[in-house]
Amino acid sequence: MANPIIQVKDVSYCYKENGPMCVNKMNIEIQEGDFMAIIGQNGAGKSTLMKLLTGLIRPVKGQIFIEGEDIAKVPVSIISKKLGYVLQNPDRQLFAETVREELAFGPSNQGIDEEEIKRRTDYILESVGIAHLADEYPPALSKGDRAKVVIGSVLVMEPKIIILDEPTGGQDYIGRYQIMNIAKKFRQKGHTVIVVTHSMSLVAEYCDHAIVLCNGEILLQGTSKEVFSQPEILQKTFIRPPQITELANRLKDELKIDETLLCVEEMGDRVLEHIPRKNE
Amino acid sequence: MGTIIEAKEFSYTYPRRENQVLRNINFKVQEGEFIAIMGRNGAGKSTLSQALDGVIPHLHGGTVWGDIVVDGLNTQTASVADLAQKIGIVLEDPEAQLFTTRVDDEMAFGIENLCLPREEIIERITWATKVVRLEGYWDREPTALSGGQKQRCAIAATLAMKPKIMVLDEPTSQLDPIGTYEVFDVIRSLKEEYGMTILITTHKSEHIAEYADRVMVLENGQIEAFDTPQVIFRNAELLSHVAVRPPQVSSLAAYLNSYGQNIPRNEFPILLDEAEQMVRKLIGGK
Amino acid sequence: MSILDYHYGDSYVHKMDPRIKMILLVVLTIVVFMISNFYVLLGMFALVMLVWKTARLPLKNILRYMKFLLGLVAFLVTLQALFFSSGENPVILLHPIIPEAVPLIGGIGTIYLDGILFGLILGFRLLTLVSIMPVFVMTTTIGETALGLVKLGMNYKYAYMTTTALNLIPSLQDEAKIVMDAQKMRGFQVFETGKLMDKLKAYTTLAVPLVVGAMRRAQLMGVAMEARAFGVHKTRTYREVLHMRTIDIVSFVIVFLICVLMVVLNIMLGGWF
Repeated sequence: MANPIIQVKDVSYCYKENGPMCVNKMNIEIQEGDFMAIIGQNGAGKSTLMKLLTGLIRPVKGQIFIEGEDIAKVPVSIISKKLGYVLQNPDRQLFAETVREELAFGPSNQGIDEEEIKRRTDYILESVGIAHLADEYPPALSKGDRAKVVIGSVLVMEPKIIILDEPTGGQDYIGRYQIMNIAKKFRQKGHTVIVVTHSMSLVAEYCDHAIVLCNGEILLQGTSKEVFSQPEILQKTFIRPPQITELANRLKDELKIDETLLCVEEMGDRVLEHIPRKNE
Repeated sequence: MGTIIEAKEFSYTYPRRENQVLRNINFKVQEGEFIAIMGRNGAGKSTLSQALDGVIPHLHGGTVWGDIVVDGLNTQTASVADLAQKIGIVLEDPEAQLFTTRVDDEMAFGIENLCLPREEIIERITWATKVVRLEGYWDREPTALSGGQKQRCAIAATLAMKPKIMVLDEPTSQLDPIGTYEVFDVIRSLKEEYGMTILITTHKSEHIAEYADRVMVLENGQIEAFDTPQVIFRNAELLSHVAVRPPQVSSLAAYLNSYGQNIPRNEFPILLDEAEQMVRKLIGGK
Repeated sequence: MSILDYHYGDSYVHKMDPRIKMILLVVLTIVVFMISNFYVLLGMFALVMLVWKTARLPLKNILRYMKFLLGLVAFLVTLQALFFSSGENPVILLHPIIPEAVPLIGGIGTIYLDGILFGLILGFRLLTLVSIMPVFVMTTTIGETALGLVKLGMNYKYAYMTTTALNLIPSLQDEAKIVMDAQKMRGFQVFETGKLMDKLKAYTTLAVPLVVGAMRRAQLMGVAMEARAFGVHKTRTYREVLHMRTIDIVSFVIVFLICVLMVVLNIMLGGWF
């Protein structure tokens, strides 16, 4: 197998000196082109892990490699060329006069030429669904739109790895669809996407692999299917399964289900298999 | 039980803006009802919830047409203090609405403003603490609580003022599933044990299907529909028009129909139990 | 943790009546301003540190703050050393580099011992002054501060506006950091690898998102306070009751007497050293 694009080796981190470990001896490998979900309760260590990857905080112990390079001494602004991170709260990430300038901020820091910046900005404006807001003042937008602008402003830098922290919180149905769809498009272009989320149905719909964190440690790691086939362990993290999963659990004997179903379509197919045909 | 909230031809424009964010809003809410306000972002949900408790227009200014009457008080003429005892509001962002350094200070703030005697203040915050299940947290710093606890602290702070109506604006959008569950559980007890009228804006369809008596759907500042969750969530055309996601079990029924089943629209499940029954009927009917 | 945040504890200083704390804050500040003798100032500094110790506040916090202030003190000392020349015992340490005959800048380069000493006192006074305020903020909740101000005769609306505004300062620090982090993550290199002038320029660009953020927060806070009936009556009641305990009054008298003693000593000793 190819070298992992991100490698986390025995990494520990705590916020207070001698305090409890927020991230405890973690080992993670993420392959290039993966669509990875990081799940867990609030306070499980998800955001801490992501901050470690971006270099905003540095491990107390252990090493982190991005494309094989130890990032311990690399400044955040340089790491950002490879790894883009969208923070959860949009409000403190907006500094420009217009949405268009906001999007151009990152690429122009990277020294990309005007024409290319314009091409990328136009593409993002369209695909995130904020084209009609291009000339608006970002802080004056609605919360959902501000979140889209922030996500767009990182995607426009086209980093090899994109981390989205709770990208769909507070988004309506359409906003969620637009944001996840563009993440999917980037993934198809070969980018690696990491999503931090509470939403199990989002994981089921989009992600290949998932890591479940609990109290700063890795509880489960594997393909989304493998992770979801461990309902007892998931329960321990207080992650509540989606409605469709609960339905599948209730009917698992009748429908002969031996795994965790997460999508409406999967469940639908199972039901269809068991519906006796008429006129036969 | 009578009408507790009535909106008559209510319209509103923010200061220095031209378009009406709310247009000709007419509705009645009965005492003790659990109402969910749904719709896409920007449809006017937050504006409506702030109009109900008088923050609009008292604090934001702007132009108002028509009236909203809350338990006999007109929101435009009544003082915010009088309104605050009838209707309490919990905002989306837990951080911004907690401004003291102790949980008990936070809960006492509102009733202190109402000039209640000290003994009653203590009695009421003890009660509110019990309702939201934050016993033992009085000396904590609100900002150091978990998301769900912060939101429950904000609920208690409003609850202590003993309003008849609680308005909650996206109270769970920043919470994890367990925090969301905790908050919804508290909200349900407000209705069931204390007979409060609840109005909540949220995108979480499954929770709404389970708890709400009626769903108000806003689109472009107008009421598009106002009916029981059954009627709303079974109306696929309406839902896709207003960008509201149906509960997963309703989508399941739609999916089955698209593969040749004939589940009647008015029998689409919205709850887990209903879905279980539906599936059993489908696979059991040999 | 910032030194302007409330610091949880149940020390004697935490429990002290906020009114006493407030008056002491004012008294100590004035006294520090009055004192010009280095040794007396040292005594005052020791007194303030004693209060820190009694309040069981981490000294680490103030040390971190002082490291930052030391730069300022060094600047003051240099400035005074170079330009302060009207001392009574001008000890010339260095002979003028520029001849005195040159107009305006003539004489610069002469370093007076007096200047250095004066600079030291100025710096040390500053250090003492900035250690007083945090003791109060770290041991007094917003509720207590507001109630204290009200009991001292302030209108409760102003009292709460003052205290909540004070509470916004530490969060502004945090937010500045978040904004800088966000800029770094969008490839903005100046904060990490830029030149000093570029950094200074970049700091000014933080102002816009910070002010916008603070205003949004203040507005939301306003809505939340209003929704809880803030400001609708002329007065309000309080859950908390202030107890002026005997021990509070005794400590007040002790600290006050020490202050008087310091002022008297200062007059008797005179001068700076």
